[in-house]
Amino acid sequence: MPWLSRQFSTRVIALIPVAIAINIVLGYTVQTVLKLPIYLDSIGTILVGVLAGPIAGAVTGAASNLIWQYAPGIGGGTIGPFAVVAAVIGILAGLWGYLGVYRSRPATGSRLWLSVVVGVAIVVLLASRIYNNPAYTDPNIGGYPDWVFTAAILITVVASLAVAAFILVRQDTAGAWVAAAGALTGIVAAILSAPIAAYVFGGVTGSGTDLIVAALRQGGADVFNASLGQGLFSDPIDKTITSFVVFIILASLSDRVVARFPLGERIVNPAPAPDA
Amino acid sequence: MPDYVQRPPTEPYRSLNPTTKLAIALTEALVAFVVRGWTGPLVVLAVVLATGLRAGVWRAFLPFLLATLPLIASILLVNTFLYPGATDLIARIGPLAPTWTGLVFATQAALRVIAFAMSVALLGLTTRPDHLIADLERRGMGRRAGFVLGATLRTVPRIGERAREITDAQRARGLDTEGSPWRRARGLVPLAAPLVFGALSEVEEVTMALEARAFSAPARRTPLRSFPDAGWQRALRWTLLALSLLAIAGSVSGALAFLP
Repeated sequence: MPWLSRQFSTRVIALIPVAIAINIVLGYTVQTVLKLPIYLDSIGTILVGVLAGPIAGAVTGAASNLIWQYAPGIGGGTIGPFAVVAAVIGILAGLWGYLGVYRSRPATGSRLWLSVVVGVAIVVLLASRIYNNPAYTDPNIGGYPDWVFTAAILITVVASLAVAAFILVRQDTAGAWVAAAGALTGIVAAILSAPIAAYVFGGVTGSGTDLIVAALRQGGADVFNASLGQGLFSDPIDKTITSFVVFIILASLSDRVVARFPLGERIVNPAPAPDA
Repeated sequence: MPDYVQRPPTEPYRSLNPTTKLAIALTEALVAFVVRGWTGPLVVLAVVLATGLRAGVWRAFLPFLLATLPLIASILLVNTFLYPGATDLIARIGPLAPTWTGLVFATQAALRVIAFAMSVALLGLTTRPDHLIADLERRGMGRRAGFVLGATLRTVPRIGERAREITDAQRARGLDTEGSPWRRARGLVPLAAPLVFGALSEVEEVTMALEARAFSAPARRTPLRSFPDAGWQRALRWTLLALSLLAIAGSVSGALAFLP
């Protein structure tokens, strides 16, 4: 299939090990060394997905998890079975790449403010969907401690401000799209990884996110809903941050480098035609 | 000692074909997670420890075991003290209420993790990664997959080393890496940016190097070395595959419920 082989050009094959290494090193640093409640292990996956396509992104994601699991030295832990989730993140990233989500869209004036409104509205809408998720509010499953709701509101406000600041400072309406893509990816990742965390590992994965799972279990939730609650907390934040990081990386690379990748032309703004 | 001077290993487990060792490790991992609470993990742990003892890597297991300790501690604490719905208390220490159900669940989960980690350690300690990749390529895995696996295994330590160098350099220039979580998070950008851009700048050179070596040429390549593979090893691999499938089927259908 030409569509498939085009995604795996030599340049992409050379990029994938670097992307996997970035995933593993940054993920290990953030989860194990800094113990922050986010993962930050999908930057490489989303980068490859956006530059090369969904299948290449899926391969990068799955391979990152499997190699990290079996790597001599830093291997071990609980990262392997989440390879499916990582593959889906890669596929979604390929979709965003096709749609040109990560293309820079400079604008000024009213268009800029419109995108600020849209970006903040998307963040608030997704946060409210999480807020009203039965995993948090259904009394039959278990009451959650109140601080969860306060934290969710606080994070929504901070996220909205961050997205608005990003769009206004860089004068680039792509911030809204990037935030939406990241939040959606995060929600899908949370929904897919909750059953794996709950049934394979009993909800505990050895990273900073375990504190959140423990707190939710304290409130009386069972293992699956505690994992889902923790996922819906950490994953959208983590994937949105990753999304912005990937956007900044792509914007900082030169057009010449990006354009040679299979989906590069959807990221690079076409140069204005020279006057004849 | 250079590769071509070393004698091939003679110990029964080490001398197996790399793909056979991989098949064994995968089956062990599957059985540890899929077969019931006590049986799977304990059987796998026994097999791994016996094989490790025979192969002479017992002492080398220790660092791998120590690496799983934070995770084990986390599992034991969270599940013993916070298992919802359990009522058989061990004791009541103030607000804490550890339960027997939680402790059993926690121990089983911990055993699964240890069995899995040990099987991974056994594979890693007795098999050279490039031998395994070369053997898989010979079996038809393909040049591109072989390159990705081999390059990743080489690149990860290299980027980790570079991350340490960048951390030291930034700390010499005043970066704070030990403060509150907010300060630690702020320190991430000056660390990640040089790392990522340095890594990405190599991609172009690697691409040119690969193309200069006819990486994308369609012709088959002749492998330089091959690893001994016997008929009984092939039979063993297929048996392991069948065993894995049976384990999954038995676990899902509940046919293995008679095991503890």
